Amino acid sequence: MSEEHHVRCIVCPLGCLVRVVVDDHGAVESVDGHQCKDGKKYALDEYKNPVRVLTATVLTAASSIPLLSVRSSRPIPKARLLESMRVLARVTVKPPVRAGDVIIPRLLGTDADLVATADLQDDHNVI
Amino acid sequence: MSLDNLDLVVVGAGPAGMAAAIGARESGVQRVLILERAEQIGGLLHQCIHNGFGLQYYKEDLTGPEYAHRMAGRVADLGIDVLTECMVTGISPDHVVSAVTRKHGYVKLKPKGVVLSMGCRERTRDAIGIPGTRPAGVLTAGTAQRYINVEGYLPGRKVVILGSGDVGMIMARRLTLEGARVVAVLEILPYVGGLIRNEVQCIHDFGIPLLLSHTITDIHGQRHIEAVTIAKVDERMQPIPETSRVLECDALLLSVGLIPENELSLSAGVVLDPRTGGPLVTETRQTSVAGIFAAGNVAHVHDLVDNVSLEGELAGVNAARLALGDELPRAGIRLVPGENIRYVVPQTISGKNDVTIYVRVKRPEQKVRMKAGQFFEKALRVVEPGVMVKLDIASRYLRSIPEGTEEIVVDCVPRTEGQSV
Repeated sequence: MSEEHHVRCIVCPLGCLVRVVVDDHGAVESVDGHQCKDGKKYALDEYKNPVRVLTATVLTAASSIPLLSVRSSRPIPKARLLESMRVLARVTVKPPVRAGDVIIPRLLGTDADLVATADLQDDHNVI
Repeated sequence: MSLDNLDLVVVGAGPAGMAAAIGARESGVQRVLILERAEQIGGLLHQCIHNGFGLQYYKEDLTGPEYAHRMAGRVADLGIDVLTECMVTGISPDHVVSAVTRKHGYVKLKPKGVVLSMGCRERTRDAIGIPGTRPAGVLTAGTAQRYINVEGYLPGRKVVILGSGDVGMIMARRLTLEGARVVAVLEILPYVGGLIRNEVQCIHDFGIPLLLSHTITDIHGQRHIEAVTIAKVDERMQPIPETSRVLECDALLLSVGLIPENELSLSAGVVLDPRTGGPLVTETRQTSVAGIFAAGNVAHVHDLVDNVSLEGELAGVNAARLALGDELPRAGIRLVPGENIRYVVPQTISGKNDVTIYVRVKRPEQKVRMKAGQFFEKALRVVEPGVMVKLDIASRYLRSIPEGTEEIVVDCVPRTEGQSV
């Protein structure tokens, strides 16, 4: 029995609905519905391993600036975004922090670190 | 920092203003001053904590704060003066810039040139006229973004979002990640307003209901919003009463469009284009007032920050040329929006130099040719209003324009069979 998966392509505004057909072992049998080769590649990657960059904030111990913006240093599995947020909810960072500093290494055991995307000083200058 | 003998004053330190100052400084003018209302430079980028910025300008996938950090670093490296907590209150046609500042009180500056880079503001409930009570909890998506990403407040736990622009969709994801439930995202048009990337990664990824051809017909709640009435709309965008239903919510976010911020431009006598809501600009980004330039969202609302910065840089470079005594090319040819075109920027060109034109279409269309008069055309697989079309026109195409041409019509027309992309 083969199984059909549908992936909405984001390569261009056409937004093709690409159909990926796989066999019982998850091996791809066919791909259709795309209109270019970039779309085919995107749909295959998205079917096999959908990943996203997580962007969020963590609490700070700075008086004037309550939040520090953070990101995952590389995309993480889409299915782990909400789980990651529960980890971030338990974090409070102390200034000073520089943009690029690692806040949580190897987030949820993935190969991505959670890093600061802004500086945090204990005053108003968060650039 | 001296406020005298300035070559250039840049109003607003967002991605357009910072790039303008950098462009001007790199072109050799010494005395560039950026005026910024906030306590720090960077503009709205600070609250746009998501990624997707800088793919063109920096060839990297940056978040808003990272993009701001990088550009602010360049501003600092070049030794460009910045005056924060400075609110410009007026600009005269002969470039007298009046401002109130925390540091110097009320000041009047007389630079050789000015770059307008004030950005844009959000349309509010009043701009679209939603009936109903006027409770707390109805706010623009950008305000909610500031609350959530900068100030640390969640504006609601059960949220309806009106409008499928990029900010609205991005807020749908942020709210979901922060533990709120997004009841629905409503869009009055039959298609999504923002980028497809955001539709997939902000809406579909989290299974958020997206209701196209829907709008809000009533807001309920006395002190705080309690619910909205929604309805499907017909082809004329009129609500169909029998489709009405009530959605409970404790917050309503509006993502219903942006308006270029041009009160200061008007005070300087700058002529606006009713189509863009921003100043009429030439290919150098000079406005109708000599020595006053405009770039970024003040000129027309962009979907990508990269283009904002590219335009800012262009304005800065040309403002510098003028300040250094160069003559700018006379832009005698008007670019006129034609078939399925909402607007074209710049509105005038010289016809002598390579030029990039930005075009916003009126409605989605597939398999089209973008044409500028008889001398340039480009086939595109798809166009839609949420995605600005950028056409790079090399000067060799412009050579075929007859001398004395006053206007060129830009059209988006269907491609006839047999032509390929």
